[in-house]
Parts: sequence; structure tokens; C-alpha cells
Amino acid sequence: MRALRATARNAFAEAAAKPAALAMQMTVMMINDFAWVIFWVLFFDRVGTLGGWDRDSIIVLQAVLTTAGGLSLGLLANGRRIGVMAVGGDLDAVLALPVPPLPFVLLRRIEPVNLGDLAFGVTLFLVACHPTPVGTVTFVLVSLASTTLLTAFLVLTGALAFFIGRSESGELGFHSMLLLGAYPVDLFAGAIRVMLFTVIPAAMIAAVPAGLVGEFDAGRALALAIAAAVFTVAATVTFTLGLRRYTSGSVWTRA
Amino acid sequence: MAIEARGLTKVFETGRRKARHRIEAVRSLDLDVAAGERVAYIGPNGAGKSTSIKILTGILHPTEGRATVLGVTPWEDRRRLARRIGTLFGQRSLLWLELTPRQSYRMLAAIYGLDRPAEQRRIAELGELLDSTDLFDQPVRNLSLGQRMRCELTACLLHEPEILFLDEPTIGLDLIAKQRFRELLVRLNEHQGTTIFLTSHDVADIEHVAKRAIVINHGEVIYDDEVAAMRRTLLGTKIVEVGLLAPIPAPTPLGVTLLEHTDTLMRLVVDTHTTPIRTVLDELLDGPAVADISVVDPPLEQVIAEIYELPAR
Amino acid sequence: MMPGRAYTVALRGAAHRSVLDGGGLVVAIGFYVVIVGTLSGLWRVAVDANGGDLGGYTAIALTWYVITSEAAIVSVNARHIEEIGTDIALGTVAVELLRPASVLGIRVATEVGRGIPRVAALWGSGALLATVLSGAPPNPATLVLAAPSLVLAITANLLAQHAVAAIAFWIRDAGSVWFLYMKAVFILGGMIIPLELLPDWLEHISMLSPFAAMAYAPARLASGHWEPVLIATQLVWIGGLAVAAHLAFRAGERRLQVVGG
Repeated sequence: MRALRATARNAFAEAAAKPAALAMQMTVMMINDFAWVIFWVLFFDRVGTLGGWDRDSIIVLQAVLTTAGGLSLGLLANGRRIGVMAVGGDLDAVLALPVPPLPFVLLRRIEPVNLGDLAFGVTLFLVACHPTPVGTVTFVLVSLASTTLLTAFLVLTGALAFFIGRSESGELGFHSMLLLGAYPVDLFAGAIRVMLFTVIPAAMIAAVPAGLVGEFDAGRALALAIAAAVFTVAATVTFTLGLRRYTSGSVWTRA
Repeated sequence: MAIEARGLTKVFETGRRKARHRIEAVRSLDLDVAAGERVAYIGPNGAGKSTSIKILTGILHPTEGRATVLGVTPWEDRRRLARRIGTLFGQRSLLWLELTPRQSYRMLAAIYGLDRPAEQRRIAELGELLDSTDLFDQPVRNLSLGQRMRCELTACLLHEPEILFLDEPTIGLDLIAKQRFRELLVRLNEHQGTTIFLTSHDVADIEHVAKRAIVINHGEVIYDDEVAAMRRTLLGTKIVEVGLLAPIPAPTPLGVTLLEHTDTLMRLVVDTHTTPIRTVLDELLDGPAVADISVVDPPLEQVIAEIYELPAR
Repeated sequence: MMPGRAYTVALRGAAHRSVLDGGGLVVAIGFYVVIVGTLSGLWRVAVDANGGDLGGYTAIALTWYVITSEAAIVSVNARHIEEIGTDIALGTVAVELLRPASVLGIRVATEVGRGIPRVAALWGSGALLATVLSGAPPNPATLVLAAPSLVLAITANLLAQHAVAAIAFWIRDAGSVWFLYMKAVFILGGMIIPLELLPDWLEHISMLSPFAAMAYAPARLASGHWEPVLIATQLVWIGGLAVAAHLAFRAGERRLQVVGG
């Protein structure tokens, strides 16, 4: 839609308005991501293979995670802030316009720091993951699926704020997803494993997509697509219902 | 009717478990505003003004009651209504801080479905009407608050709305800027027939913009009349506070009520329709006893209290 | 008020407030449990795959290591550098500099006070979790040393953050610096990998750095190694960092006067 394109264009323009700050923030984030890669390299150097994962495959995982994280937190930056916006009354400006609120809110802001994640992830893949043409296409597709899933999850947990009146659910959701997402999922067993594939689908945002880049598995690919779709629907429904309970920050200001 | 509301109620629940309590922000509100009117919706802080306007613009869902704006129920048909109304909330910006107003207008034009020629035409028109053309190409963060508000006003008028809702638009502006802004609203209404619905807790907005004033307090309408009538009854009072070096007797003219009288302080209420303020001041200043003198409008809470002899907040 | 007493008042006040902030504590514990559960799970799997011993650590030892190193770090508000930086940029610090007791001393005392109940709550939860997931601590006597070591660890961390944050007297964007600081603590401080498991050259560097005092020291103790020398090392580092922070703030004060706050 023309309106959403125009919104995205403005978001880009605003992020690029201070190029020096943008470059600095992106660099810092890339260093940050690099430190995690170092950890994993040190770990696997010491430990050898673990549950079918080794240094090379963990690097692919980090590449997918940072790429999807960068796309979601960087380009759809308000996804993480839905809870805060709901409780703080920051949705007024969106609701005053004849636009579908959720897409507009998501596109409206770009977070320069997380663009560093995106740059890092793509670079890491190209430099360290021996990209083949098929592998690259897979990487792009699974990263997009992962981005969708992550964003939907963040919106869903954030939208719970409409119902409970506090924004912590969004923050907790964000932190747990990113933390757990960084792990090679096969390490976990039992109830935790089930949880990581379903309710808190951290396994689906990096470990599963990364595995697909190494070796395509139709079942897992389908599971990823379904997870993305299910969470997108859940997020949209929760957000829409939540808007009915929106208080525009009035409760807080009155207190 | 451009705006019609019956029995609008909005209850907020806050606090947790034992401390849980309900706040009735708006209580059974009835409202009728015809097209082309200029209405000031006045009340002290916490009276329910912002909540009412957010319900009428579709941002909040009411707990009870019904309303139509331009024939549409706001919270059910929000997006359709948004194409025909404009909103300017003093503390929420439509403009992007790092970009120029023109870049924001480009995006808004896309949102409202204006094609490029219409967009250019409208920007030029508004630039002239609001005297803000030279502001459009500077980053918004470089503009003063008064300049920003003129650009915000342009933004919410791009799509030629039939009604303009403004929520505390002059907050933070200096006196001159406020005055200019009010003049712009009047001009807008007179040239383009836009209905103006303005909330404020500044009495001067009644005097200079509105033809009709609706006063709301504790979530209910307590006064609704032509401003001319209100002017006759209420807006003529001034409070005079005098610091004294030596005791002096109270002034004698009619229309002067003594609130407080000690050896060092005198407070008076003057009904300026009965006695011009000048007469009272002349009498007080005739002699060396006055150290300090101030003349102020009575606070809005007091005006409202006077309207209905309710205890002031 | 004598400066010494001002510090204890600040510390106790902050500790009290921290205890009262139940909601914040619950969120921190939730966060901590998730981190510790996954990280210790990772290490346990790794140890099992390596015949039950990794660099001298058993699975139980590593679990207790992780709960301690994470408690030491999660309990300290790591956005401090950014906050201190913002305060400096906004001139709040300039106002504080007018007060008689040392600005630095009060701030650090306050933050240590805030951290103590948090580290206690986190470590307590962690201990429970470790016992359930893995078993009793390998050498319970070391916990007696580990507890004060945790307090020293958060003190060292806070002092270092202040020293680093003083950079904000010179540059406006101290926020980026905290990322880098946190990463240094993660790796060189032994928070996510016990230092013994690093390649030799990195292990040497880390042992010599102040970061080891912030997470490695209490964690090493709690994982069953009776090494009191670690406490001595922490005290030495606290002294050094206090001096560094003091000098950094003094230099910054002087700059404030030159530039104007």
C-alpha cells in the first residue's frame, strides 16, 4: 500500500538523518555480536561436537539469529515496544490516522543500533558459512520466516499489556526469546524442548532455520512456516482486541 | 449534527486487588455540535476533556453510551471517520522530528490518498493561510514550539477535514504564539467552514476562539452556552491583590467585593462590568501605601465553582 | 554529617528500597532463572559429552559456577554506565558535586546497597535451582567464602562502571560504551565460560584483569574450590578501581568547571 511504503520511507530517512551516530551504533552492535561468536568458537574449541552441533553450524545459527533479529528489531523496531506503547498511551497518533494500526506502528520506527545486527548477520553468513547459491536462497527465506515469527511473538507478548496493564510481558518475552534462541536446540530435552518449539518458539527462530540452511528438511521447513503463520494470526488478533481496552495512558496520568 | 453524544460514559479501572478502584472519567455525557460551530470544551485538569475527545475521535471505546460524528460511530468506524476529521493533540506529534514538515506531509498525503498535485496545492494553500510556508523545509527539531504547532496544524488539515479536534493545542506556547494560533483557528473556521472543537483549561481560549463554551467537570457537562452569555455573567471578574506598606481603607465603588483585608494585604474581586478596573486601581494607588499590586483573572476552578456553587477543588 | 556515616545511610536506604521493589525483584529472578537454566544446561551436556570432567570441573561444579557468576552480574544494574553518562550530560552530577560527601562514594554506596538484596535473592534462587537440577554444592564450606566474595564482586563491578562512565565527562554518548563493557565482563570476567576453559593465553589475560574479580572469583569459590587468595585479589582490585574512579571523576569535575555544566 502506498501509505505503508511512504511510512517506511520516512522511517528510513529519519534513521539516516544522523549518519555518524548511525555508523557508530551499528559498529558497536557488530562488536557485541562478534563477542558472542567468539564465545561459541571458544566453547566448541574446548568441547568438540555437541548434540550434532559444532563450530561451523553454530556460526550459521548466529548468522540467522542476528539477521532475523536485525530485521525485526531494526526495521520493525516498534514490535518490541508494543507493551510500553499500550500502557503509555503512545498509540494515539497512530489511531488518529486512517491506517491499519499494527503494520503502521511496526513500520513507523527504525532502530539504528539493530541495523548493526543485520549487517553483522549477513556479513557473517557471507564470510564464514561457505555460501552456495542454494544455501543463500535458503538463508534468505528462513531469515524472513524467522523475522516474521520473532516479530509476531514480540507483538503478542507486548499486546498482553492491554489486558494486564503492565508492559513487562513484552520485555520478558523479548529477552527470553533472544537468549534462548541463541542455543543449539538439540541440547535440550523433555518439557523444555517442547516449550522451545511451541509456546516460546525460540528454537524456531534460529536453530531450526539454521539447520535448514545446512540440510533441507521438508518437515522442519513446514513447521517453521506454520509457526510463523500461527503466531502472526495470534498477534494480530490479540492486538486488535487489545485496542478496545486501550486507555491512552489516562490511568497513569490520573494516578 | 456534526457531533452527537448520548450518555457517554468511560470508566477506568486501576490499582490491584484490594487497592482496585474505578475512575469515572466521563459520566453520562450528552453533547450536540452543529457543523461550522466553534466550540471550546473547557474544564480543569482531570475533568475528562481528553477522554471525551479521544472517544469522539475513535481512539478510546466508551464503557456505555453512544455517539456519532459526521454520522459515523467513531470507535466502530475509526478509519473511515479519520479521513474526514483532523486531530491535533498538544502532546502528541504528527510530525517526524528529524525530518522536515514537508517530508511528513508527503507521507500523510499518501495515507490520506491525496495525489501529488492535490498535495502540493493543499500545502501551498495552508502555508499561506497559516503563514508558515518558510517553515516547511527545516527539520522539525530546529523549529520553535510555536512554529512547530503551526506545522502540526497544517499536517492535520491536509485532507480538508470537516471537523478539527484539538486537545490542549496551546500548551507550552508563549502569549504571542497562543494569540496567533487562536487567530488561525478562527480564520480556518470562517474561510473553510471547518467545525472547531477545542479542549483547553485556558479561559482565554473561550474568549478568543469559541462562540460556544461547554464546561465539563468531574466527567459531566455543567455549563453549555453561548460565550456572549458567559461573558456577561462570569468573565468580567478580576481579582486584585494589593500588598500594603500601611493600612488603608477598602475601596468603595460598586461591584467590588472584599475577600481579605489586613494591615499588609488586601484582596478584592472586581466586577468589571459594574466598575472598570481602572477606577478601582486609581483609588487604590492614590497615596503611598501600596507596595505591590497584581490584577489576575480568577482561576478556572473558581469560575466553575461560582457557576454552580460547588466546593472548589 | 560525617562522610562515613553518609555512605552507610545511603547504602542502607538503597538496600531497603530494593527489598521493597518486589515486582522488580521478581522480574529479575525470572530473567535470571531462564539464563541460568539454559546456560548451566549447556555446560552439563558439554561435561557429560567429555567424560564427566571439563578443565577440572564436574557437571555439578559447573552448575554452581554458573549460578554464582550470573548472580554477580545480573544483580548489578548494567545500564549504569549509560545512566551515569546521562546524569553527567544533563548536569545532575554538577549539582551532586556541591554536596559535602564524595559524589562517587555516595553513588557507589547506594548502588552496592541496592545490589546486595538482589544478589542475595538471585543467588538464593539459583542455589535452589542448582540443587534441583544438579545436586548439592560440591564443597559447601566454600559457600561461606563465596557469599562475601559476591558482595566484593558487585562492588568492584560498580566501581569499574563509574570509572568507565566518567568518560561521559568528555564524550556525550557513553551509552555505546556499556555494550563493550558488558562483553568484556562476559568473557574476561568468566561469566559465561569459566576462565580455566579458555585457551591459555586468554586465561592469563583474564586472570590479570579486574573483570575476573567481578564474576569469576565468587563463582570459582562456589563451585567447590577453596581459594581464599581470590578474596584478597578482589580487595586489591577494589582499592585500585576506587582510586581510578576517584581520579577519573576528579578530572571530570575539573573539566566541568572549565567547560561549564
